[in-house]
Amino acid sequence: MKKSRRGIIKFAALGAGLLLTPQGRPLLRSAKAEGRRKIVFASAEPLTGNWDPTTHTILAQLNIEAQIFGQLVRCPMRSDNPLEIVYELATAQKITDTYTIEYTLRRDVKFHNGAEFTAGDVKATMEYASQQDKPGAFWYPGPVEVEVVDRYTARVHTNKGNFPASMMTFAAAAWPMLSAADVNDPATLRTRPNGTGPLKFVEQKGNDTILARNPDWTSGSLAFDEFVFSHIPDGTTRVLAVLSGEVDIIERLEPEQYATLSKDNRVKLTRTVANENKYMHFRCNKPPLDNVLLRKAIAYAIDRDQVAQVVGAAATPSNCYLNPAKFGYIDIPEYPRFDAAKCQELLKQAGFPKGNGLPEIEYLVSEGFYPKNKEYAEIIVAMLQEQGIPAKLTVMEVAAWLERIFQKKSTVPYADIVDVGWSTGTPEPNFILKAQFLSSKALFNGINDPEIDAIIELESKEPDIDKRREIIQTRTLPTIAEKMPSFSLFTSVLIHATRANLEGVYFYPSGAMDLSKAHYT
Amino acid sequence: MVFLLGFLARRLLQGAAIIGLVSFAVFALLRVIPGDPVRLMLGPMTPDYVVEQTARQLGLRDPLLLQYLRYMKGVMKGELGRSFTKAPSGEAVGGNLDLNRGERAKVFDLIAGTLPLTFQLAGLALVFAIIIAVPLGLLGGLHADRWPDSLALYVASVFVSVPNFWLGIMLALIFTAQLGWIPSIGYNGFVYTVLPALVIAVEIAPIVIRSLTVSVAATMQQPFVEIALLRGLSRRQVIISHVLRNSAVPVLNLFGVQLGTLLGGVLIVEYIFSYPGLGFLTVQSVLQRDFPTIQAIAMVTTSVFVLINLLVDLISAYVDRRLDY
Repeated sequence: MKKSRRGIIKFAALGAGLLLTPQGRPLLRSAKAEGRRKIVFASAEPLTGNWDPTTHTILAQLNIEAQIFGQLVRCPMRSDNPLEIVYELATAQKITDTYTIEYTLRRDVKFHNGAEFTAGDVKATMEYASQQDKPGAFWYPGPVEVEVVDRYTARVHTNKGNFPASMMTFAAAAWPMLSAADVNDPATLRTRPNGTGPLKFVEQKGNDTILARNPDWTSGSLAFDEFVFSHIPDGTTRVLAVLSGEVDIIERLEPEQYATLSKDNRVKLTRTVANENKYMHFRCNKPPLDNVLLRKAIAYAIDRDQVAQVVGAAATPSNCYLNPAKFGYIDIPEYPRFDAAKCQELLKQAGFPKGNGLPEIEYLVSEGFYPKNKEYAEIIVAMLQEQGIPAKLTVMEVAAWLERIFQKKSTVPYADIVDVGWSTGTPEPNFILKAQFLSSKALFNGINDPEIDAIIELESKEPDIDKRREIIQTRTLPTIAEKMPSFSLFTSVLIHATRANLEGVYFYPSGAMDLSKAHYT
Repeated sequence: MVFLLGFLARRLLQGAAIIGLVSFAVFALLRVIPGDPVRLMLGPMTPDYVVEQTARQLGLRDPLLLQYLRYMKGVMKGELGRSFTKAPSGEAVGGNLDLNRGERAKVFDLIAGTLPLTFQLAGLALVFAIIIAVPLGLLGGLHADRWPDSLALYVASVFVSVPNFWLGIMLALIFTAQLGWIPSIGYNGFVYTVLPALVIAVEIAPIVIRSLTVSVAATMQQPFVEIALLRGLSRRQVIISHVLRNSAVPVLNLFGVQLGTLLGGVLIVEYIFSYPGLGFLTVQSVLQRDFPTIQAIAMVTTSVFVLINLLVDLISAYVDRRLDY
């Protein structure tokens, strides 16, 4: 082409046109997040529960519900005061007899649709949510009946569920309060959430769920207008998103990402000791691990310090089936530590000297959800093989693993050992003890031990909180350790990253967030 | 015209058979592989009997053939079913007590909502690939055994060696996270398509470069090229009017084959960039075991593949009149 003024002008015009979108905005622009009045959270999991909190137990859904729905009480489970109770919709709770607890409610609290929150809503919520055929009934120790004493006083009776009212002290921190009108209209309840929380539901757009500040929130005033819950499944993408400013908070960082980002002044990192322990659940209802001596031999073959090193920043050592934020937590005396000689002695007593005669033991883990669990499982398998135990590792994608880990009455359980983390949002220990060690539940290990059953029932029915703690610490936990239906490897640590100029976000050990004091500097 | 209609009818029948086979294979495999969609909907703490109850309500415990026939009956009526997990807005909704399945998103709507974004991504990727590959391939073919040929070879080798997921992360790290020039995570405007499209373009360009280089070089050896030059046509005229057209047919056929690479690349790239297209929907659906959505996506992508290859054949026949049906 000949060089001419016309040619140069044409070229320049073409270049400028290429840089503009049809709307006249520059094509290349800063990738920063919009404004300072919006907080965007990138979640590793999608929301897969519907808006009726009783119909699911999905962690991500629970986390967003914590922003929308109010609760009678909350338990921040801070490391310096793990059993602290913060009153929210209730101003006081009082155990009036073994099977009754009375709540005094805060006045002038409104749902997002303008209706006032009263004792009638507490009655409707609890009686609805505690029905045992509901997925969300997991959070209730049993069905309850609620008496409306007056507009702002509700008395909850637990004798129908045969559990003492004292168990509600901490369990209530897992119960979102619904409107009675919504409970009576399940179709509406499922399609949009209506709570009393600081944020109210606006809409869902594709993979984003948008919440707006509730101007009528009685517990304070948020320093931002909008909260967006965005699903970004890939961990690296989440990190890139927070570095670029596209999102403000991310969760589930890998340990090596923690190490890298701790040098980056664009983000702040938070480590929170989680409400979750990682367990090896032995299939106690299937040979060869129906043999308690073999189970204990396996426990003594594992160096938990090495395992925790592999997990790095995402783990903290633990010698208990409960995590430190749980009521009754204690370092269990004589909890197995690595001891090769002890392992060999137990193998011999079990009838498998040096592992001879043992069939292959399959250890099932997932990949893509918990940090580093494939890596530490590989080390554990090597440790077992070193002791002569013929272990084999099976790694599955999360959905496949989730289907295989549960005990089912009609089939032989899959694998011999399964790796599972268990996180519950309150200090109430029975969400772990009953779910995992009571023979009528025993979700993963299938243990059926009358002694364990008896000691869990004993502590469950103890109305005195100090006596209950003593039973858990001196009898329940040591008994479980002695029977070894499962082996707790470590307590998980949640790692979050936030933009450096975002302050005041508190992360609960369950992964939920308290945004009441969140603000940009 | 009769031959054309006959050709179309044959190819469409073959396509229908392929779609039928793929739909049954995907349908059956989903129900055989581990992963219970109901458990994923309800969560890990739900009692087993509640999971079974919900599964029966959804018809997931019926015999496989019955489930398939029920599904295909709906497909014949134009109903691709409703998602197990997504609400009409596109976000997920699960749980049980959802006796009114009408609350769940129609799979057709989910696909229709995400397909345009994927077409946009694929289209821009093709444009980038053509911008990269055609000049390089042409130069390489016109100057065979000289440095442009070597350059085309080296560039193609580098591009084919670079893993697309690594390239995507690097581009996002440099241009989005560090420099802040081009946003790329999620979607909030056309500009979010640029980096993902570039990654896919790098993936599909190498084979176009090599094939065009070889094709152009081979065509330049043809006697008619020498004769055309001897007849007095300029080199430029010969290349544009004769060489390109004759070289195009193998490359056009390649685009049909490259569609498979394109669709596969879109899946990974959309996941890395959280780009809300059909690929991202596919990954989400697989992870959540959203059976109706996975089945429908399999049928849609098979149909697209069949139709694109049919189109490529038709265009090739138009370009090169020596080809017939």
